Amino acid sequence: MSTRRQFLVQGVGGFAGFLAIDSIFARAAKAAVQTSIAGASAGRTLVVVNLQGGNDGLNTIVPYGDPTYYRVRPTINVGQDQVLKLDDTLGLNPQLAPLKPLYDQHRIAILQGVHYPNPNLSHFRSTEIWQTAAPERYLDTGWAGRYLDADGKGKAPNLFAGVAVGPVLPKLMVAERTDVPTISNLNGFKFNGARDEQAQADRILGGDGTKYPFQSPYLQLVQDIENHAHAAANQLPHLVSGYKPAVEYPKTPFAQGLNLIAGVVNADVGTKVFYISLGSFDTHVGQRNRQDLLLGQLAGGLAAFYQDLAAHNADDRVLTMTFSEFGRRVQENANRGTDHGTAAPMFLLGGNVHGGIYGDHPSLTDLDYGNLKWHTDFRSVYATVLEKWLGIGSTPILGSQFDTLSIV
Amino acid sequence: MSSSVDQLTGTGDEYRPAGALTDFDEALAQYKGPWNPRLAAHLLRRAGFGGSPSDIASATSAGMDATVQRLIHFGSDSLPAAPDGDISFDFSPTADQKQRQRSFLATQMWFVNRCLQTPNPLRERMVYFWSNHFTSGLGQDGITPQQMVDQYNLFARYALGNYAELTHEISKDGAMLLYLNNAQNRQAHPNENYARELMELFTMGVGNYSEQDVRESARAFTGWTVLRRQGDAVTFNPQLHDNGTKTFLGRTGNFMGDDIVDIIMQQGATPRYMANKFARNFIYDNPEPGLIDALATRLRAANYDVARLMGVILRSNLFYSDRAYRALVKSPLELVIGAHKALGATNVEPLALNAMRQMNQIAMQPPNVAGWPGGAMWLNTGTLLARINYLNQLALSKGVGQNAAMTGGDQMMAMVENPAAAMRMGANVADPTQWIAGVNMGDAGAVTDRVLWMAVQDDATAQQRQTILSYLSTDDAGMHAALTMENVDEKVRGAMSLAFALPSFQLA
Repeated sequence: MSTRRQFLVQGVGGFAGFLAIDSIFARAAKAAVQTSIAGASAGRTLVVVNLQGGNDGLNTIVPYGDPTYYRVRPTINVGQDQVLKLDDTLGLNPQLAPLKPLYDQHRIAILQGVHYPNPNLSHFRSTEIWQTAAPERYLDTGWAGRYLDADGKGKAPNLFAGVAVGPVLPKLMVAERTDVPTISNLNGFKFNGARDEQAQADRILGGDGTKYPFQSPYLQLVQDIENHAHAAANQLPHLVSGYKPAVEYPKTPFAQGLNLIAGVVNADVGTKVFYISLGSFDTHVGQRNRQDLLLGQLAGGLAAFYQDLAAHNADDRVLTMTFSEFGRRVQENANRGTDHGTAAPMFLLGGNVHGGIYGDHPSLTDLDYGNLKWHTDFRSVYATVLEKWLGIGSTPILGSQFDTLSIV
Repeated sequence: MSSSVDQLTGTGDEYRPAGALTDFDEALAQYKGPWNPRLAAHLLRRAGFGGSPSDIASATSAGMDATVQRLIHFGSDSLPAAPDGDISFDFSPTADQKQRQRSFLATQMWFVNRCLQTPNPLRERMVYFWSNHFTSGLGQDGITPQQMVDQYNLFARYALGNYAELTHEISKDGAMLLYLNNAQNRQAHPNENYARELMELFTMGVGNYSEQDVRESARAFTGWTVLRRQGDAVTFNPQLHDNGTKTFLGRTGNFMGDDIVDIIMQQGATPRYMANKFARNFIYDNPEPGLIDALATRLRAANYDVARLMGVILRSNLFYSDRAYRALVKSPLELVIGAHKALGATNVEPLALNAMRQMNQIAMQPPNVAGWPGGAMWLNTGTLLARINYLNQLALSKGVGQNAAMTGGDQMMAMVENPAAAMRMGANVADPTQWIAGVNMGDAGAVTDRVLWMAVQDDATAQQRQTILSYLSTDDAGMHAALTMENVDEKVRGAMSLAFALPSFQLA
């Protein structure tokens, strides 16, 4: 009755058994087998961190040497005595202290003044622009999704080519041909149901080659995706079962999500892109408290993540990139907060990053309706990551050619 | 003479074109083939959100033409025209966060419950259609819950009304003026957002106008704005309007926004764009150019009367052919409402909104101005897990208390603070013995057939049926065991959960 379920449980530690199960399920499982072998080459991977809600760049990378900063931020500034100085004019928010050693080891690149033409100040649209890499068009797919499609072309499907941590698939990972599992935690990533019903569900979802009394262009797709989901949900716990974190991660959901990512990195199943988000940075009111809290979570999580990766000899093959839909207004508002703005810095972290500060800090006086003027198109950063880190042509993915930067 | 295959596929003897479609008049001619429960269920899925077994039985006995007639010529209903309770909403950063959540939730629940409870499913279905065509987003760009309610009620008034008139009306709608920034469109600082999307997404589609047309028509819409300090009143402020001469799509005059809409409605591109949209929403995803032309001709001839176009579609040979049958992917809203209908549930609970979010659909909040893309974009590993897990939870849910315990969370608490609303909150998924009323409990095959009928109207493989049958006729130890009064509740719920997990249930 529940042979498949028993089989899956017995299959821990050896994938060969998967091949005995019925046709469609077997295809998905087989793909995963091939992947896990191919993945032994320890491929590079990208971790995208979305600082959701619009992170204030000025209080992240603080222009402490510019008197204008203290004039436009009279109550929410980071004092000169508080900043972690990077050079004569710029310093880190002190909550980023856990990242300072990585910066000092040249493993963090800070890209200043990044944004896109005709900035949109809506959270929804600007987030979508960053995730689709399309400021002037509405696209159904995300830039990482398009990368996964391009990278996976002609290969056996990989159930874990992309992994999104969180409850909802981000637009960034939406692809035409690649299924990206969204995983909040190991326990939640499964089909629910009583135990005996689960055994039945295995058969319901698996397909069996007997005919449906109708035809539909979507039937095969639904069945394939259900099988992917089913196979992925069954495999994930086994894949990460051999991984033990080398450090204690902070108890924040963000750090726990990074811990999950480290487990999948360690399983080395060919995951090319991970996604995780932290927020909300939408600090219209009482900015210092909220932003400091979140920056502390960001730094604490990433520092633990890199120590853990280093202990597993994986820090050289993981590149982490942060983005936020926009920075915030230069002048603080009446609620000790800041309103939606434009340009902001991005962080790139990893063993192969050429650390340092890239690009000038945008002027605090030469503004665009109260907002910073950007100088680096975010798609240049994406092009850099695609070409120099993931090793793929960026033009088809981004829609046009963008200059690359020398950061990796 | 109807072969057993016809019975199964539910498509008619008379209309079964092989290969590429060529005769679109025949495709859109009135269907005269056999009428059966599966086709009735198909009609109810497309012209509403699915049917309960008794809805399907009624539509079957009424016949196709009478059912379509009733769907299109609907009367009034006694459902609330506005959400329950206080939906005031303060955008200021210091506003009460709980009230914000409450008003959002009450507004979303109002719409979702209307979809389930309406006696006029095509009305709500068209509200959903228009909300995904003339998009705006709850809480986005300063749009209040009340403005969304007003907009949805506008869509309801024009559900099957005149598309050209609705386009005039939506151009002066409060939520729309905010969503596409026409509220900030004034002579001194023109904002082209509405003018551009009006042409690109609401009427003609790209390639049928120039950037110059966008700029000129934006000038014509200047002055329409929302008075935020006066109850969000929509007003035309002549002081902010650009009174100069505009040249738009080859015509020159001192145009106002209404003139722009009139000119757009005279373009050949507009009925074609809308024909494509209707076809993709109600027939299948990739309509042939010939089908689009045939529908556009009819829409134009009907002077944009949507009831007439929908009458053609819902009565057509093509609509009842195997080309259209289960050829669309259910949106999360259709999936959730359809499952409730199948089970005879009378209320949707807030839990469903969270589940829909995990299926990538936030009620009343499309992802962008282009709306939910639909089709394959609904389906990925995460959304399928969310879909099947929610359906499982629904089949197993036993009422208000149980679900409240299962969900927790702030949204739920906000709802619980309003006892009147809480009374209407439980999914009320009835009693599984009701699902199998009239079926001999001792006959596991009959119970299996009943469950499969409720969920997927028999659209299952023999093996899938066998799986559910053996689940119903064995105990946990795998031994043969009949249903008893003790286990019938659990077993029938479990069987329903399995039936909802069938790939067929994902398809409309």
